[in-house]
Parts: sequence; structure tokens; C-alpha cells
Amino acid sequence: MRLKINRAYLLIAPAFAYMGFFVAYPLVEAVYLAFFEGGSPTWANIDYLLNSPFSKFYDALKYTLIITAIVIPVETFLALLVAVLLYNKFRGRDALLYLVIVPLTISDVAAGLIWYSILTSNGFMNNLLISLGVISDPIQVFGSGFTSRMLIAIALAEIWRSMAIVFVILFAGLQLVSRDMIEAAEVFGAGWREKLFKIILPMIKPSLQSALLIRTLFAFQIFGVVWILAGRNIPVLAGEAYYELTELKHYGVAALYALIIAGISLSLGAVYVRTLRASHLEVER
Amino acid sequence: MRKSRGLSTTQIVGIVVVIVIILAAAAFMMRGGEEAQTPAEETTPTGQTPAQTTPTQAEQTPTPAQETREKVKIVFASTQLAPVEEAAFVKNQLLPPFTDETGIEVEFVPISYEDLSTKLEGEIRAGKVSIDVIGDLHGGLDFFASKGWLMDLSQFGALPDRSFPKILEDYSNLYGIKAYVPWMTATYVFVVNKEAFNYLPPGLTQEDVMTGTDKWTYQALLDWAKSIEEATGKKALGFPAGPKGLFHRFLHGYLYPSFTGAQVKNFDSQDAVAMWQYLTDLWQYVNPASTTWDAMADPLLRGDVLIAWDHTARIKSAITTEPDKFVVVPAPAGPQGRGYILVIAGLAIPKGAPNPEAAWKLIEYLTRPETQVMVLRNVGFFPSVNEASGKITEGPLKVLADGVANQLNAPDSIVALIPSLGARGGEFSQTYRTAFELIVLEGNSPGEVLPQLATQLNRLFEETGAKLPPPDSQ
Repeated sequence: MRLKINRAYLLIAPAFAYMGFFVAYPLVEAVYLAFFEGGSPTWANIDYLLNSPFSKFYDALKYTLIITAIVIPVETFLALLVAVLLYNKFRGRDALLYLVIVPLTISDVAAGLIWYSILTSNGFMNNLLISLGVISDPIQVFGSGFTSRMLIAIALAEIWRSMAIVFVILFAGLQLVSRDMIEAAEVFGAGWREKLFKIILPMIKPSLQSALLIRTLFAFQIFGVVWILAGRNIPVLAGEAYYELTELKHYGVAALYALIIAGISLSLGAVYVRTLRASHLEVER
Repeated sequence: MRKSRGLSTTQIVGIVVVIVIILAAAAFMMRGGEEAQTPAEETTPTGQTPAQTTPTQAEQTPTPAQETREKVKIVFASTQLAPVEEAAFVKNQLLPPFTDETGIEVEFVPISYEDLSTKLEGEIRAGKVSIDVIGDLHGGLDFFASKGWLMDLSQFGALPDRSFPKILEDYSNLYGIKAYVPWMTATYVFVVNKEAFNYLPPGLTQEDVMTGTDKWTYQALLDWAKSIEEATGKKALGFPAGPKGLFHRFLHGYLYPSFTGAQVKNFDSQDAVAMWQYLTDLWQYVNPASTTWDAMADPLLRGDVLIAWDHTARIKSAITTEPDKFVVVPAPAGPQGRGYILVIAGLAIPKGAPNPEAAWKLIEYLTRPETQVMVLRNVGFFPSVNEASGKITEGPLKVLADGVANQLNAPDSIVALIPSLGARGGEFSQTYRTAFELIVLEGNSPGEVLPQLATQLNRLFEETGAKLPPPDSQ
């Protein structure tokens, strides 16, 4: 028994060392940067964050939440829809599968650039609509004063790009749903609604949890797409951290942003883990 | 049932084999990559960071006795041409002809201003200087000269076959010594798509705009942009007001001097209020996507805008791509004159440099007209010697150089230099950007916004001890 415990520690030691070096140490450094200056504690960075005319903290927090609140539900719903659709076998299914996964291979900055060239005033969308005679003047999407349009563009790009990862996780989860069960349900006269809510959704709950967890955590780090499409017209937390660090050299403020993102991610992660615990795990307790 | 879900032993072995193969392949490719890289590294010896280079260089500095036997090697530390591509140009194209000609080897060390300043201070205090030639902006060299760290270059006599514009000559004499030799210049200009000349407002001619006559004013720019919008429905004016754009330079170095006569001093004056009112009016005709643009070459080439302002280096690719489509014109004038930023980079020799004679030879080489044209052609910095313009033949570079020369020679010009605030330069820029966002984009009253920001701006200069830059200091 003793030997077993020792061996267990030994086995997780590399993981601990990794986490310690790459997560714990930077975290401690970030706390130091954010709350200390020259060895003594300081509130200057918090004061700057909340009160300086340079700081866009409130807007950044607001827009990060708005983008997350739009993107996560929509992409989860769409991914689920596509996953269930592709669960059935039909001609062209494999081709469709590859098509859905393609955005997974594209970086966020590249995704931002693709959507920028589609939606800009001389872009594909405007040219298409003008040549079809739908509009006569190009629709301006980007720039100050077009906040809601830019938000839509960001949501589009982000959903397009990251739906694939949610889809992959849900689709993998769906493979665990036994066809026997579905067939049995059909024998007992279950409609699609029963099948979805009574069998598929409960069975893929663990996958759904993982997908939501991963995506929400990443949503709070959203940066590349927003930076390309909206610059600082739509500030987001990670973007402000980058700007404060690179342009203004406010290392403490940037560290503070990083800590805020980490704090939000951790608390949301905890909420997910509690509320979406798979039912069979609870039975085991 | 349960067993069938798990992996069989064969499958596990298979997966392990695949992983080992992938790792082995990666390791092999990395080895191959290293081997392939080595020759390239030999040709560009300073891939090292400045911190690594210094001690070795200091150790290697030959004693006079050794010098006679060994090749002379000098260190050229520069805050300019530091980006990777530019540094590669310096090492592979700019310096080799000098070494061939003189036998002097040059170690080019790209370095940040903060690092250079710290390093120089440390070395001067320790009495063991390793740098032979410093390449830096006027502001930094001004600071070094004020500390007494630079040699008086007048002891080397005049450089043959070249002359410097008076303004550069004046600025390079600091604290009673010839502190540096002007090396390169850069500025920010307006680029006009020739199509825009079809919509000139009454009373303004193409000639006025191209040469910068007294009719080429900010009011004329507004009328022009308005006239284009009325004729085409297009908001044809563009600025790089994105997060990485240089729009703040337009605000503090162009509009402020033109409207208030100073960059900082009159930040919240009545003239400044009028200036912000003007910019708010002008913004109706500015392409709203400006706040997402970091550089203007692409919007110009895409045809999103017809008139744009940006740094010469950032606008250069539009002109080299379609030289027949665009012209470069001087900045318009405001009520106080024609404010524009001149970025001056200079070459200096620190006191106690190991090889001042060799250093002077390098300075002589770098300020030859033909060397300067090579720099312009490759990295887009403009010459500092008058004779260089004669060496620029027709083509895109001529378009750029003519525009810049017209701006330099405008009689009502007010030259603005960028203050040297080191790491806090970002805060200086942000003050102007924040004023712009609050007043022009969000519609706040300048009277309320400016005093608060002015306090912050003044504190910035007090805390850093930096001098107010020209024209404020004149």
C-alpha cells in the first residue's frame, strides 16, 4: 500500500513539476507584478484600471462577457445540431464532416483576416450584394460607431472558427451512444424529441461539459479575432492586457488583467463542473 | 462487453510505436534544421542578444600591440534598423562593402534605447567602453550629450563631398559640441491617389497640394474631402488610427504644432479647443474603418481611401506597388504654420571608444550619398545628405523623395521632434489618442477632457525629467 502511494506520487511528479513551472510560478510572478512595486504593496495598478482615462477595463469586461454570451450558446447549439445530423449515415456525410472540421486548422488571426476581407467595404460580401442589386452603397461594418455590426462580425468569425472544436468533442461523445438503445426506444414508439432529450443528451453530458468548459475558458481569452476585426474599438480583456503591456509598458496592469481573466475562468470552471456533473457519477457516490 | 471497449495489447504497442516514430522524426528534422541554419548564422554573426555580445566584445577588445597584428573590429550599437529584416540588411548588404574596402570588421548590435542607455552609463562609469559607434534618434543622443558621454566629432574635420541640410546641422550641435553626424531621416506624409485631384474644391489646384503652397491648408483638406464625398459618396480620407497605427503622431506632431504652435505646451489652450473642433468636423469625411487600420498602404491599394497620412516606411509599399497611381504631398498648413515630424537618426562616438578612428571611417561610409540611397531603397529611411537626392533616379522612390523634399523645404514649416521618454513614450502617445477618442469619437467637450489630460501630460515630463521637444523648446 505504502509502495503504491509512493509510486503514485512518483507518477504524477512530472505533471506537478510541469504545472509548477509553467502555471504556478508565472501566477505568483503575476500577483507580484500586479500588487507590488519595488518590494512594497501598491494599489496603483487597481486604481489605474478602475479610474484612469486610459483604461478601458469596464468596456473590456462588458464586451468580453457579451461576446462569450453570444458565441458559446450559439456555437454549442449549432455544433450539437450538426453532430446529431451527422450521427445518421447518409451520402456525402464524410465530405460534410471534413468541411465542418476545416476551421479547426485555421488560427484565430487568420480567421479574423478571412472575415475582414469578406466583410470590409470593398470585400466579397459587399461586392456580391452590389452586383446582385440588393444594395447600391457598400455596407460599412468596421470602425468606430459601428459597434453592433462589429460585434456581429466578431461573433460570426468566432462561431465559424470555434464551432468545429465543440463539434469534434460532441461528435466523439455521440459515438458512445449505443445504436441499440436508440433502436430499442424506437421500438417503444419514441419520437425524435424523446430520443434527443431522454437518450442522446443525457448520454453525451460529459462531452458537453468538456466542450463548454474548454470553450468558455478560451472565450475569456478571445483576442486575435477581435484585434483584427475591431482593433480597440471593441476592447476585450486579453486585448487590453496585450495593449497595456506592449504599447504602454504597464506591466503591473497587464498582470492584473491576466489575473482577472484567470479568476473568471477558474470560477466559471468550478460552476460548470458542479452543475454539469454527469448523472451516473452522482449515482456512484 | 467491457473488454471490447478497451484497447488490446497489440493496439497499445502500435500506438507507442507510432509515437516513437513521430518523436524520432521530429528530432531528426530538428537536427537537419540546425545543420541547415548554421551557414546562415555565420554570415549574420550577431544573432546574439546585446547582453551576450558585450562581455565577449569587451574581452576581445584588442590592446594596441595586438591591433597591429590583428584585424580591427568595431562595435556598432544601434537602436535603429533593429527589426530582424532591417538588421539582416545591415549585416548582409550594408556593412560587407565597408569591410572589404577598409578591412575593418563591424559587429552590428541592434539594441533598445533603454538597454543602450543603461549599458553606456555602466561602461562610462566603469571606464571600459566597448561601443565604437552609436546609432540612435536625436532625442536619445541629446540625452547622452547632456550627460557628457559623447565625443566632440568636430575634431575629425568635415566629411568630404557631402553637405547636410541646415536644420540637421543645427540639431546635431548640442551642448557646445558636434554631438553626432546626421545619419537618416524619416517623416510622415500624405499620399494622394491621383483620382482625388478630379474633385479638388474651388480655389485649390494640384500644384498647390503638390508643392505645399499657402493655399494647401487643413481647411482646404476638409473642403476637398467634403467635395469627394459629395461627388462619389465616399469617405475618402484615411488615418492609421488602429491600435498599432501611428495616428497619435499626426495629433501631436502635425495638428498641434499647426494649430497651437507647440506639441505639449498648449495642450489645453483655446487654440487646441479650436483644433479639436476642426478634427471633429473633418472626421465626418474620414473613413470610419480608420480606427481599425494600423498602416495605410493596404487601404490605399484596395481603394478604400483616396487620401491617407502615414509614416513613409508604412506607406512605401503602396507607392512601389503602383507608382503611377499615387503622389506624395507635404502636410497641409494650419493657422500657426505647417507642422510636421522629422525623425532624425544620428551617428555618435562615445567617449573612451576603443577605436575612434575606425569608428569615424564607418560614419564616413554610412553618410556617403550612395550608401544612403541604398538604405532608402532597402529599408525606407531617407538620406541626411543633400547630395543623395541626385542619386535617386526615376521611379517610386523618386515619388516618395520628392514629396518628402517638398515638405522639408516648405517655408512655413514647424519641425516637431518626438520627445524621448523611453519606456513611457507609450503614455505620451496614449494621452493624445485618449483625447481623440473622448472628444472626436465619443463627443465629449474638449474643454472638459483636455485639462485633465494636460495634468497627466505635464506630470509625465516632470517625472521623467525629459525636455520638451521642439517646437515647444524653441
